[in-house]
Amino acid sequence: MAQTTQSQTDVRSLVDAFREHPERRYVMFGGKGGLGKTTFSAATGYWLAQQGHKVLVFSVDPQASLSDIFKKDIFGKGPVNIMDNLWAQEIDADQHIKEYQDEIRHKILDMYGMDKVPDEIEDYIAAASAEPAMEESAIFDSVVDIVNQGDYDYYIYDLVPLGHALYYLSMAKVYDEWITRITKLREEMQEHQEMVARIRREKEVEEDHILEELRFIRDRINTASSILTDRKKTAFFFVIIPEEMILLDTAKAAKLFAAFNVPIGGYVVNRVIPEDLLGEDVPPYLKNRIEMQRKYLARIDQTFGDQILARVPEMERDVTGLEMIERVAGRMYGES
Amino acid sequence: MAEERRKPQDRVERAEQEDPPRGIKGFMQKVKQVTYGMAAHDMTRYALRTRASMEHLFILVTMGDMLGVPILPPYYSMRLLPYVVPQVATWKRRMLREKDVTDAMF
Repeated sequence: MAQTTQSQTDVRSLVDAFREHPERRYVMFGGKGGLGKTTFSAATGYWLAQQGHKVLVFSVDPQASLSDIFKKDIFGKGPVNIMDNLWAQEIDADQHIKEYQDEIRHKILDMYGMDKVPDEIEDYIAAASAEPAMEESAIFDSVVDIVNQGDYDYYIYDLVPLGHALYYLSMAKVYDEWITRITKLREEMQEHQEMVARIRREKEVEEDHILEELRFIRDRINTASSILTDRKKTAFFFVIIPEEMILLDTAKAAKLFAAFNVPIGGYVVNRVIPEDLLGEDVPPYLKNRIEMQRKYLARIDQTFGDQILARVPEMERDVTGLEMIERVAGRMYGES
Repeated sequence: MAEERRKPQDRVERAEQEDPPRGIKGFMQKVKQVTYGMAAHDMTRYALRTRASMEHLFILVTMGDMLGVPILPPYYSMRLLPYVVPQVATWKRRMLREKDVTDAMF
């Protein structure tokens, strides 16, 4: 009984959120660590796949838990098929950086016919890779690769805790400005080159490969940040639980995300202890927790109103394996 | 058929004849070239020098790390690395020879 009243109060549901926006491509669940982002990502992937869409759930977290939830070792193995229409992928950022470095080395050797990369260049490659920004960029760059291939209808991005995405978004802003400036410098250089060519009456000016690279880089950065900020294609769902700390933190994070133009699709409440437990003979401990949650749930309704898209109950056991994922999907989407 | 085949050939011959013009026309063209060269030579040199300075400035803003100038995004500047490999040695020498890095820019 309690369940039916709950679903009646949910005016808009997650199902509506997807049906109303068929143009959506990128789905993200964000929130503090341990609230169930991965669980919801997997369950959403499961539901969308069952609706007949081709879905990729992917993660860039080095301590990714997709392997755990799907009970399959998929780390660094590319997209792995989980069931009909559903693939999962865990990106190994270190491996990506290594491959990228090798690509640069090969390019140098090929361009100049060298047998060995000069020491000072090699040192630079090693030093640059030690920078912390390197990993962030490598991660987002591989995300761009995945998305550019465009093999899937939906990309569900299992984010690492919030700070990471915000950090990248602010970095992307700086990057973009930096690139714009040096592109301008490069274009001025090209003008000088063209002037010389005109005076010397040379017909063709040598193409500036660096300028081409700069444009390519800018394109990559813009694609990467648009995955997070595209109003039409992106939906970012916050995962919350009925506890004071989480609500305070989420309110702060939501403000920050809004400042970076991340379109917030709604909120999903997790870990709700089923109220129908109250009717049974319950210990005071559980009774108190239910009372506490009731208080915060009321506050959640007040603050977020119809932005709350689903309430998912606390499960009696770990969510791992397709069977449990199916159950969570059923609770989230009210059908399966 | 034979006439048709000859036509394009004629055109080629005419073009060849036109090329080094003789007489007054040819003389005037030589004068033009000489004046142009006298005026433009300096401009060319100046443009090339400016470009070389800018090239060094460019490497500084993209690869400054090599000299200890912190530069923001190492991931993407690495994509540019292959193109500047031959200039790195001269660039370092030039940058470090100057009293101040900014002296070397312009």
